[in-house]
Amino acid sequence: MRNRLTIGIAGAGGDGVVVLGSLLQELAAFRGYFSQMSRYYGPQIRGGASGAKLSLDAACARIPGDIVDLLVCFNWEKYVELQRELPIGNDSVVIYDSASPGASIALPRRRFAVPFSNTSKETTNSTSAKNIVALGLLSKMLDLPTDSLKAATLDREALAILQKDAPALNAGKHLLSEIDFPDLRLSPPTDPSVKVILHGNSAIAQAAIRAGCRAFFGYPITPAAEIMQEMQERLSQDNGVFLQAEDEIAALGMALGASLTGAKAMTATSGPGLDLMTEMIGLASSAEIPVVIADVQRCGPATGIPSKSEQSDLNHAIYGGHGDAPRVIIVPYDMEGCYRLIIESFNISEEYQVPVILLSDQWLAQTTVATTSHFLSRDYPLMERKRPALDYRGQYQRYEMTKGYVSPMASVGDERFTYQATGLAHDEKGRPSFDFANNQRMHEKRWHKLAALRDRDEFTKVFGREDVRRGIVTPGSSAQFVLETVEELGLQDKIKVCIPELIYPLPHKLADFVASLDKLQIVEMSYSAQFYHYLRSQIDLPSDTRVYARAGGLPLAISELSAPILELTR
Amino acid sequence: MSEARNYRTDVSPIWCPGCGNLALLNALTTKVLPTLGIPRHQALIVSGIGCSSRIPAYIDTYGFNSLHGRAVVIAQGAKLARPELTVVAIGGDGDFFSIGAGHLPHAVRRNIDITCIMVNNFVYALTKGQTSPTTPYLQRGEGPFLSLQFYPPVDPVLDMVSYSVSTKASFIAQGISTDPAHLAWLITEAVRHKGFSFVNVLTPCATFDPPWLFKRIKERASYLKEGEPVGLPESSTEQPWLHDSTNITLALKLAQTPVLEKPHIGIIFRGSQQ
Repeated sequence: MRNRLTIGIAGAGGDGVVVLGSLLQELAAFRGYFSQMSRYYGPQIRGGASGAKLSLDAACARIPGDIVDLLVCFNWEKYVELQRELPIGNDSVVIYDSASPGASIALPRRRFAVPFSNTSKETTNSTSAKNIVALGLLSKMLDLPTDSLKAATLDREALAILQKDAPALNAGKHLLSEIDFPDLRLSPPTDPSVKVILHGNSAIAQAAIRAGCRAFFGYPITPAAEIMQEMQERLSQDNGVFLQAEDEIAALGMALGASLTGAKAMTATSGPGLDLMTEMIGLASSAEIPVVIADVQRCGPATGIPSKSEQSDLNHAIYGGHGDAPRVIIVPYDMEGCYRLIIESFNISEEYQVPVILLSDQWLAQTTVATTSHFLSRDYPLMERKRPALDYRGQYQRYEMTKGYVSPMASVGDERFTYQATGLAHDEKGRPSFDFANNQRMHEKRWHKLAALRDRDEFTKVFGREDVRRGIVTPGSSAQFVLETVEELGLQDKIKVCIPELIYPLPHKLADFVASLDKLQIVEMSYSAQFYHYLRSQIDLPSDTRVYARAGGLPLAISELSAPILELTR
Repeated sequence: MSEARNYRTDVSPIWCPGCGNLALLNALTTKVLPTLGIPRHQALIVSGIGCSSRIPAYIDTYGFNSLHGRAVVIAQGAKLARPELTVVAIGGDGDFFSIGAGHLPHAVRRNIDITCIMVNNFVYALTKGQTSPTTPYLQRGEGPFLSLQFYPPVDPVLDMVSYSVSTKASFIAQGISTDPAHLAWLITEAVRHKGFSFVNVLTPCATFDPPWLFKRIKERASYLKEGEPVGLPESSTEQPWLHDSTNITLALKLAQTPVLEKPHIGIIFRGSQQ
């Protein structure tokens, strides 16, 4: 019995790799197991390499281990392309569809050729159910009964597959029946309640609706398109506004138009789309229009690697655009964070009348996580923008100077408060003004209004003992790998870890964390170490500061982070 | 004029004396909005960047002077989120037909009920006289067209009217700023039309256009009247047909007349409404 099991699945696109992983995840979630499943795919829609890495856990939803304990392989040629994502060890168990691997792949002692395709052919007249044959086998090996599948919250498509391929599923259960795999069995889950399964993109869409988003405008892009698709479905059921725009400039422009009328509005994109949105971000900042932009980062620059994760849009998110145009940058580090922080993004954008960019990444976006549903049922306070009082006297001034620098904002359509906004420098009434003193004052207004955010301690997560003077600062999905590595190395009492969820403006708590250290390690997935340079530009760092930063294209691994993290303790 | 009907703000226009934008501003604030009886808070005017795009600051409705080429997208977002609003996008020829040209066919095909007023003065005026997509094409050797340029415009004109006809905008009209009463009527009809409406306003640039340009346009202008024969250029050998604004084929023929040979003023096409 073990507490955790990492399963790798490899094949060609069309082999049903992700379907197999998802069904297995459903099966385990129904029994109460936590899990995370990351997906690896290339540029092809069909026929390219397709991989999934699923970690089942009895106690919490952790990232998959580096080495897979169990590998299911449908296609060795494609496995070679995925070898770095799905490495096998000496103690791993490998089951593979009959064809033998070439000499280039060293297989462990426990390896079994299993006739997935043939069994599928015999039972369903087609080889396309080979993944369902494998599901039958795995359910048996791992003691995850398939009768619960019907009860699990499967989508209709998955249920249809299972009904059609029931003979394949049953036949799979009788394969390898002479061998027992006691070491692959999981101990009972600590909390047997059925777990909900969501990926970051879905969490963003669901939470946006929860936050009161009424208008979504988008343009398809990998790996953010799922947000758009889910928003389309949810907003059309809900009488909201959804439109697929002609490009990302239009998508954000339309969101600003909707926001002017009082609707909570958003868009979602990836790096190349954020490039196009840049002029509109400056406009939203200048004209103080609330809007939320979810940027699901992928490898850049230019087209980069669309389907792989990176954390290299940070500079663009913070600084993109001409002029001094403040905005707020929020960075979740796990799936629940995607949910919670998109709500916070709406709250901040409404409260401060500012564009908020939430930086997700492909790993967070497309890794499905099975966990307890507490974060869905929790109460999240919602903020609304400050509006002019109905008994407002005198002439309404859209950009009136107030104590907190936030001015009441009328919605287009509100009686008595007509105003004319502009991207030109403007005065308190919103009228074009080319006066220096006014320009200076309006900059102060837009920058100072965000200062209060620096006191929001809840956006800086700190793990470990406070008195420790060695620490790591790591944003976004990298943080999950760092936490896991620290735990695996048993260094929780020697190193503290800080995960900033609010990056711009820089929270005081993050500055205090850094100030408490003698030795600092930064971990991020950006070749030029954008986060490190940003931090350095804002605060003093310990003279002993190290940076672990590299390009994206391969998820971080515990094995690669061990050395830099151990080094920190020396 | 009663207070309720006074749609001007107290901001003074930056435009040159004799600018066609002044006529448009007048038409909107003293004719179109009062005639339609739109409460000021129910109207939103979105503009891009350019001389004409300064107009929102002068009209006391909701207004947004946005980015170069983007008025039409912001207008669509606002209209979708609050359909009871009257939303008008205003910009110049460079705005709508150069930098923002990619947005127009999509606004047309969505047929969202907004009105797009293109103030066509044949020039980038705010940047002091560069050629725009509508600057008349001249042969080499004919000399410069614009007062501050040394070279003739050598790229063919992108004709906005034939463009909007070919993309099947559901309401297409051409007005002239030297006839503000007629222009006001055209815009009123455009706003009343349920669906995407496009009004091209021929406008003199008092500073950069050569004086002969508007003189010629006015001389050759021909008003379209429903059921009456259309004016054709002198060079045309065709028999004039009776104007039928519901006929897209005839609209296309009208649109193919070069604007400097026979500018058609009036409703060129009026399709079925939403």
